Amino acid sequence: MPLRKGPFVFIVASAALIAFAQTPPPPPGQRPAQQGRGGGGRNFLISRDVPDPAAVERGQRLFVANCGFCHGSNANGGGEGGPDLIRSALALDDEKGNKIGPVIHNGRGKMPPFPQMTQAQIEDIAAFLRAKQQAAINRNAYTIQNVNTGNAAEGKVYFEAHCANCHSPAGDLAGIAGKFTPEILLNRIVYPGGRGGRGRGGASASRVHSTVTVTANGHSYSGTLEYEDDFHVSLQAPTGEYLTFTRGPGVRVEVEDPLAGHEKLIPTYTDAELHNVLAYLETLK
Amino acid sequence: MNIARLILTLPLAAALLSAQGLDPAKLLQPPTDTWPTYNGDYTGRRFSPLTQINKDNVKQMTLAWVWRMNLGPGAGGGTSVKATPLEVNGILYFAVPDHAFAVDARTGRELWHYKWETHGGIHIGDRGFGMYRDWLYFETPDNYLICLNAKDGTERWHVEIADVKQEYFSTPAPVVIRNHIIVGTGGDSLDVPGFLESRDPETGALQWRWNTTPRKGEPGAETWPNEDAMSHGGGMTWMPGTYDPDLNLYYLGTGNPNPVMAGQGREGADLWTCSIVALNPDTGKMAWYFQSSPHDTHDWDAVQTPVLIDGTIDGKPRKLLAQASRNGYFFVLDRTNGKAIVSKPYGPINWSKGVDAKGQPIGDPAKYPHTDGTLVMPASGGTTNWPPPSFSPQTGLFYVSTSDSYSMFFLTDTDKKPEGYGGRDAGVFSRAGLTAIDYQNGNIRWKHNFPGVGGGVYGVLSTAGGLVFTGDPMDNFIALDAKTGDPIWHSHLTGSVANGPESFELDGEQYIVVGAGDSLYAFKMAK
Repeated sequence: MPLRKGPFVFIVASAALIAFAQTPPPPPGQRPAQQGRGGGGRNFLISRDVPDPAAVERGQRLFVANCGFCHGSNANGGGEGGPDLIRSALALDDEKGNKIGPVIHNGRGKMPPFPQMTQAQIEDIAAFLRAKQQAAINRNAYTIQNVNTGNAAEGKVYFEAHCANCHSPAGDLAGIAGKFTPEILLNRIVYPGGRGGRGRGGASASRVHSTVTVTANGHSYSGTLEYEDDFHVSLQAPTGEYLTFTRGPGVRVEVEDPLAGHEKLIPTYTDAELHNVLAYLETLK
Repeated sequence: MNIARLILTLPLAAALLSAQGLDPAKLLQPPTDTWPTYNGDYTGRRFSPLTQINKDNVKQMTLAWVWRMNLGPGAGGGTSVKATPLEVNGILYFAVPDHAFAVDARTGRELWHYKWETHGGIHIGDRGFGMYRDWLYFETPDNYLICLNAKDGTERWHVEIADVKQEYFSTPAPVVIRNHIIVGTGGDSLDVPGFLESRDPETGALQWRWNTTPRKGEPGAETWPNEDAMSHGGGMTWMPGTYDPDLNLYYLGTGNPNPVMAGQGREGADLWTCSIVALNPDTGKMAWYFQSSPHDTHDWDAVQTPVLIDGTIDGKPRKLLAQASRNGYFFVLDRTNGKAIVSKPYGPINWSKGVDAKGQPIGDPAKYPHTDGTLVMPASGGTTNWPPPSFSPQTGLFYVSTSDSYSMFFLTDTDKKPEGYGGRDAGVFSRAGLTAIDYQNGNIRWKHNFPGVGGGVYGVLSTAGGLVFTGDPMDNFIALDAKTGDPIWHSHLTGSVANGPESFELDGEQYIVVGAGDSLYAFKMAK
């Protein structure tokens, strides 16, 4: 069966209006549903009870004062020789102090005993350790550090050479730095539209719509691309009419993807160029 | 006369007596009336020799039945069928996290449903069963190996293979080799070490354990900076492997090292993570290894099926192993010794400076995750992922579902001893396709990109009918011409293709079965 392969027409002019104005892509760290890491509802990464924040706070104070010197105030073994308690088998096995309690009370190896520690205090320390463990486990909540490390002047030069055909700092990009966090803006410089490796190919609220022209039986139909696979193509005509065509001989499909220009540029970017452009866009508050 | 009758009826009686059981001989044959393992046979080719459904008549293929999952009250939704069902004596056996099912392969009727009361663990998927005579084996997210009676789904026993409190969670389908039940585990959240085990089919008792990272003083330890790093070094055994009975070697791809994206605490190659290894299934001793991604920092495990190909290189017959790895490289190895014959990218990549003398890629430190973001191709999900590929001896092509993709990778944990993932990433672009690779040289014979941008990767089946079956990003189940890549047939399902499609023949009819979303679909020719 002959299939689509209609020429992709790269219009970039209309991209200016929409390319940067969509909702941000899904947060980093999520995987596509295909790999099964997504899924709705509760955080799939955390399968044990989340401790009470007040207990965590009390436990942190106790831990820093009593344990931090050896175990590190973050409990990761960064102190004077005490082991990491975040990846500790004993601390992970613990439930409300039942495993760490005896060690705290009796000491172990080089660790001195803390017989005065009450059961309530031990439970608070256990809550603090569980929170630290869950912070390491919950990669979707990791804090991204400063990404605005580029050179704005060099970014402006790059922008004028590669981006200014479609984008304008006074037009579509006016105030862009106020609309997105720097790390999301960085992703969107690469490819806006929120339909990358995390998302699906289909029409979604966050995608930038392509336009399509279907020629069949001597007639031409144009509109917003609603659906596309190897067998069918659907469009919304300016009249509001929804039309679906079956691909085949005599059916010509031409898709105009406003983001084709971005797709073309992706393989050419260096990390320095991306950060320079980001630094430049960050000046457009 | 009487003797002749006796000879005729004896095998019949035996067949009836063990009507639910798996004849071990089936494990050594190409899958026709039986699909007895996750991959259909030990080779991992996922090639069906059946031809009733072929490229000339597949348009007349029609729906035979649909089975839809009902996990019962209180169960969450959104669970998809990632297992490839076993088909033995007309019954399909498969599992999803905490649940196992038997379904009549001719009618789609559910015969039994087993439910496991979980102790927790990350519920991302279950690859299904291994089978030994009348018994089925599967693993759970809280790391129990469970043995069921195939006849009625009742539990015989369960044993714990890893501690869920240490953040292990198990996904693979056990692989049965003689009296060895080979089980693996997963868990990449908090830097636990990976392992593979062999268990006794009668009792679940441990026969041997092979660690994916060395212990102190063992070979491979020199590829880690210290004992702490390798004892928290990851290398999960997420997926079932393949087996060569003549060489008596079990082939397995291992997972990525931990911490996943922060490599500064584990300088070195980090053996035997991200590797293809050959193990003796009787002892667990490693015969050889090949590292697909030395010192990985991009979550690119090497657990993609090591497909066994009896092929020809430079005019000579060779025993080969091929892997389309998540990092974007296609490898062909001599499976007798692990020596690389082909190491070639099969999709766009930007992280490698080439390959070393052993054919192993050399990572470019400039493309490690950095705090301010590094643009890397492929994305963390890889050029492909766990959904199984297929090799057709008829075309000589290796078919793999591909995602030409980019992620921005961010290093978030700059401690000299980072923990967990130590970084995160954002996928910014992907284009899904099916890629057909010539196993002799790694050249791409054809590549079919699906229309539009985005999409994931999907399991693949090839058949002697000249067809390749897979999924597309729009929830279609598709048949393509195995020689040319032209799409021929499709059916739009209620979810995206979630497992590896399979094929078998019952009562003279060829079936194609695929899991999509929370359902199984069976197709056959219209009568």
